[in-house]
Formats: sequence, structure tokens, C-alpha cells
Amino acid sequence: MNNFAKSTWWKKGAVHLFPVPALAVYILFVIYPILSAFGYSFYDWKGHTRGEFVGLGNFVSLFTKEPFNHLFWNAFGHNLYYFAVEMAVQNVIAFVLAYLVYSKLKGSNFLKMAYFLPRLLSVIVVGFLWKLMLNPNNGIVNVLLKKIGLVSWAKPWLGDPTYALTSITLVNSWFGIGFSMLIFLAGLHAISTEVIEAARLDGVKGLRLIRSIILPMMSQSLIIITVFTFIHAFEAFELIYAMEGSQGEPYNSTDTLAVFFYRIAFGGSSGGDSVALGLGSALAVVLFFIIATISALFLYFTRNQSAQ
Amino acid sequence: MKRLFSGALLTMVAASSMLVACSNNSATPSTTPGGANTAPTAAPQEKVKLTMGSWRTEDAEAYTKIIAEFKKNNPNIDIEFKPIKNTEYNTALNTGLQSGNGPDIIHLRPYAAGAALADAGYLEPLTSVKGMDVFSKDTLLAATGTDGKVYGVPTVFSSTQVFYNKKIFQKYNLTEPKTWDELLKTADTLKSNKVTPFAFGSKEGWILSLTQGTLAPSVYGTDFIKKILAGEANFKSPEYVSSIKMLKDMTPYFPDNYVGIGMDDMRNMFVSEQAAMMVMGDWEYAVMKKTNPDLQMDVFPVPPMKADGKATVTTWVDGSFSVNAKSAHKAEALKFMEFLTTKEFGALAVNELQKPSTIPGVAANDPLVAKIAKNADTISTPYASVVYFNAGNPTTKSTLENSIQGMYLNKLTPEQVTEEVQKSADTWFKPKK
Repeated sequence: MNNFAKSTWWKKGAVHLFPVPALAVYILFVIYPILSAFGYSFYDWKGHTRGEFVGLGNFVSLFTKEPFNHLFWNAFGHNLYYFAVEMAVQNVIAFVLAYLVYSKLKGSNFLKMAYFLPRLLSVIVVGFLWKLMLNPNNGIVNVLLKKIGLVSWAKPWLGDPTYALTSITLVNSWFGIGFSMLIFLAGLHAISTEVIEAARLDGVKGLRLIRSIILPMMSQSLIIITVFTFIHAFEAFELIYAMEGSQGEPYNSTDTLAVFFYRIAFGGSSGGDSVALGLGSALAVVLFFIIATISALFLYFTRNQSAQ
Repeated sequence: MKRLFSGALLTMVAASSMLVACSNNSATPSTTPGGANTAPTAAPQEKVKLTMGSWRTEDAEAYTKIIAEFKKNNPNIDIEFKPIKNTEYNTALNTGLQSGNGPDIIHLRPYAAGAALADAGYLEPLTSVKGMDVFSKDTLLAATGTDGKVYGVPTVFSSTQVFYNKKIFQKYNLTEPKTWDELLKTADTLKSNKVTPFAFGSKEGWILSLTQGTLAPSVYGTDFIKKILAGEANFKSPEYVSSIKMLKDMTPYFPDNYVGIGMDDMRNMFVSEQAAMMVMGDWEYAVMKKTNPDLQMDVFPVPPMKADGKATVTTWVDGSFSVNAKSAHKAEALKFMEFLTTKEFGALAVNELQKPSTIPGVAANDPLVAKIAKNADTISTPYASVVYFNAGNPTTKSTLENSIQGMYLNKLTPEQVTEEVQKSADTWFKPKK
């Protein structure tokens, strides 16, 4: 008995048994679906029969065959645009707001709540609310513009390809400001007050303080935000689906990779159209690698950070 | 050691899941036709329970009545109607069929999508079913496999025509137009009286192919599509180009900012009486009646170019019913197929499902449904985009939608639209010489 309790091989073995149930669930519901998507991407798969093995054919058509190749790059560009707007609008405004709240403005607790409020709504609700407000003829945005005499400014925001994606990305930024602000606020609070005091005593003020002291000291949260924003921008789907539907309307101007994937994998809304799940899986694999690469870079950078 | 262990595990999982993902699961269908149709004998038979799949969750009540009617002559057969949401039906059905079960009676999507299931061997050919001769060849096309056999019984049509607001028409002394010119004059009168002539928007693609499919036969004539099918004409032919030009010429009669308007806005404009006409499918009738019960609406077919021409409505089969080749009760399911070809069922379809029946000569109680059904029965043209050109990837139908959208956004000329459509058709379509 004593010998048995002391025997370390048993303990070591048991340790390996404990994660098995969790691992089984993980393999069944995470690893297996991902790998089967990889598997499907090598077949001309239509949904009811597996179709023929085409090797890398789906990937080749995605990048060389009309219209998929230009639709792919079109969608990829839209994802980048989504990312750029989120960075330039959402995160810049979020930082300014976070800084104001941090600077002990009166009622900062109330403001924190107020900024975070949109985030409490579901993305779909936000999409529909703004869809109503941006309705070209009786939406409040255009009604107000006409009221104050800017008749020519009242555009079909979601129906004209010139404005559709921009409208959606701005709504998306409005939605995401609260979240970014909280991350920034946490980053600001993590900076030791002594450093800032010392800088102030040395006469550093305003923008100089932000640029030389605060931003470098919160590089962690800047990296987190950048990566979150990137992943979020490359998974953009729900808001677009709520505001425009799944067809990349109008005229493919709101196709992101996820919307494009939805369309080729599941066809039309009534299911009457052809589906190309094989091609869709190939696109999903490509999207997976884009996001995985960025996430890996992020892990690499943050590891360097903590090592310093 | 640990790393080795997890690496091995991962490889094992990867290998096994690949095997599963790629294991061959194509069913080998029995090629023998279903049990012979024995007439019901007087001897009491044991009860059989069939399941019936469908994407029409909103028709559950109507199907209860339909099944009750069927049971009058077949008391030993129980049928359970099990509908699944429209957008998820295909996925659920495919999964069911792949694993070798699925419902005994399958609600089949029309044309290419249904033919694909037949080609995969999941459906029983209906060669032995009596009464299939009531349907025209065009109608049966909706449930015909590539081997030329019929695999389903088409039940109802969808039909597109012009809805109009009776009250507004009376107010400005307008009548149902009999020629294309009269239609344009009608639109002009409405426009000069500050009424939007057509509730229309180009934001949603399907509206565009539907509008083109409804109005174009008046421009290129009802035989033109047959020429394309026979290879005597194509999408770049002047007739087709002029049909796309016509869509562009209609823009003065569309609402402001129509490029940003979708179906919900269109319906709102029509039911709130801001717009007088709408090119639309029969299914919207029930929805609009619910939204505004006081709305006085009616329909007219699309008028011909010349007074001696024929007015048209555009139709396609909305769905068929088929027998699962793996069903344990094929003989009973085939009995139900036979019932679907009878006038009794036709009457139920028209009055309960409120759609034009595929069975000729059944009358409806609701006068507007009756009018739609009569037009579908007598002066219909097949909806070309759905019936003949809904294949390819992306489909030629969606290419047409996307290009017309581009035209309305001034990115493409009508000629370029037809070039895009032709390019898409070239990738898969072979004329039958």
C-alpha cells in the first residue's frame, strides 16, 4: 500500500487520464469539424453527395477562375477596409474617450456606462436599428438631412455601392467603441502613477505626455486591440447580414470573406440555388490561415513583450 | 514524451476524421421501380405510418386537411407532416438522405436542385404512378432527372404578374392596360399625380430576376427563350438586349432612391397606398392582405407590345412531392403520389395553399386567387431564369441579378449586362440542337 502510494509512475499515469474527458469533447467538437472542413476542401462537394476528389482544384479556382478570383480579392479588400475604419475611427475615438474618463472627468462612471451601452445590444438588433434609420426615403438620417436643407446629401446609404460599406463600418465602429474604450482604460490604469507624476514634474504635458509616456507604457493593450480588431474585421459577417443580406448587395460592394463564403457555400436564401460546399470549405481554410497567421504573430510579439 | 504522445494523438485524430470525411457514402439506389400499385383490397390491412418532409412550415394546417382527404380512401395509411424551416430544409434533408433515412415522402425543390437528388439516386422514379398524364411536359420538367425520368409530382405553381391598387386606379380613371403603351401611359398619369407608379427597388437581387422574368416576355415574345434553348439565339441577341434596355427605361416610374429599396420597403409602399403597381409573385397576396386588410388590390397580366399580341404571366413549379427510394413503405407512398394527381387535391391546393394548382381546370374560392390561377393555367410563360438557367457556379440567374443591379447603379450598359449573362451561360449551358 505504502509502496503503491509512493510509486510515481502511477501518479504520472493518472495525471494523463484526467484531461481525457475534456480532450474527447474538444476533439469531437473543435478539432474534428476543423479537420473535416480541411478534408472537404479537396472535394467537389455539393452537400448531398461528396463528389469527386479534386485535390487542390478548389483552391486553384478560388485564385484563378472568373468570377471567384476577383470576388475573392474584392472581399479581401473589404476586410482590410473594415479593419482600417475600425482602427482609425473606432479605436482612436475609443482612446480619446478612455483618456477623458481616466482624467477624472466629472461623471466619468456614468460616461463609462454610456459609451458601453451599444455593446449591450445584439449585433443583429444594432443592424436592424441602423437599417431603419438609414432607409433612403423615410429613415431618420435622410429625413433630418432634408429638414435642414441638405437635400443632396440624403443618399441611399445602404443601396449605393459608394457608401454601403462605409455606412456599415461606421455603424460597426459606433457599436465597438465601448469595448475598445474599456481595454484602453484598463491599460491606462495599469500605468504606474509615479511615472506619470515624475513626467509631469519634469514639465511634460498634453500630447507630449500621451506620445512619449502613456502610449509606450500601454503597448500591451494597443497590441491586444490591434489583434482583436483584425480578427473581428476578418470575421465580419453578422452586421452585414443584418443590414444588407447575404448576397454582398449592392453589387458585391459589401462582400467580406465571410459573406462571400456564406454565398458560395449555402447558395441563395431559399436554398434553390446551387451550393458549392467544397469551394466554400477551401475559402474557409484560406480564411482560417489568414487569421491563424496574424494570431501567431501576435503571440510571438506579446511573448517578446513579457520577456523584456 | 508528452509532446510525442499528443503529436501521435493528433495524427490519429486527423487520420480518422479524414477517413470519416472522405468515406464513401454514395448510396447505391435500387433501380427496380417501387411495388406495383395493387388496388386496395377489401381485406383489412395493417396500419402504416409515413412521414412527409417539407419546407412549408406555414402550411401545416392546410396539409392536415390534405392528408385527411387522402385518408378517406386510404384509411390504413397515416401520414405525419413534418416541416422544417425553409432555409434549413435542404441541409436537413441532405443529412437525412445521406444517413439512409429521411422522410418517406420528400418535398422536392424544383428544377436543378431536385434533379440533383434524383441523380444521386435518393428518389424513386414515378413511372408506375397513374394520372401523371394530366401535367404538361413543361410542368414535369421541375421534377425530371437528367435521365429523363420523372421523380416527383409537381403540386403548385408560383406565378408573377402585376398587382395594382384598385382605389388609386379608380381615382384617376385608369383601367387594366391592354398593351405596353397603355401601361406606360398609366404610369405617366400616376407620376403626374404624384403617385409612385411601381413599388420597386434594386437592392435585393432576386427582385431583379423576378421583374425581368415577368416583364421581358412581352418584349422578346413568348417563343424567344425556346430559341435560346435550341441554340438559334443567345443572350446577346437583340431581342434579349432590348428586354434589358426596357428595364432601364422603366426607371422614371420607380420610387426615389430605388437602388436602396428592398422587399420590405416595396411591400410597405404598396400596402400603404403610396405606390399603385407592383410586379410581384402570388405569395405576397396573403402577406399583404394580413398587413392591410382594407387594401383593395387586384392583378393584371403583363400586356403585350401590340394590341394583337398575347398578355402573359410568368410561372414556375414551386415544388413537387417525391418518394424516398429507401422508404420501407414505398407502395403506400406511391398511393399518395397518385392522390396528388387528382382534382380533389387540386381543389385543396388552390383553396388551402392559396396557390395556382398544377392540375388544369380547378377553380378557387377567393376571386383574386382564382384570377391568378386562371392566368397561370391559360396564358403562362415559364420563368426562364429559374426553369432553365439556374445552374453554373455562380448560377446564371444570380449573374443576371448582379448585372442588372450594376446597370441600375450605372456601372454597366444593357449590352454589358447581356454579355455577362452569356459568359455565365457559356460555362455550363449546351443548347439542345
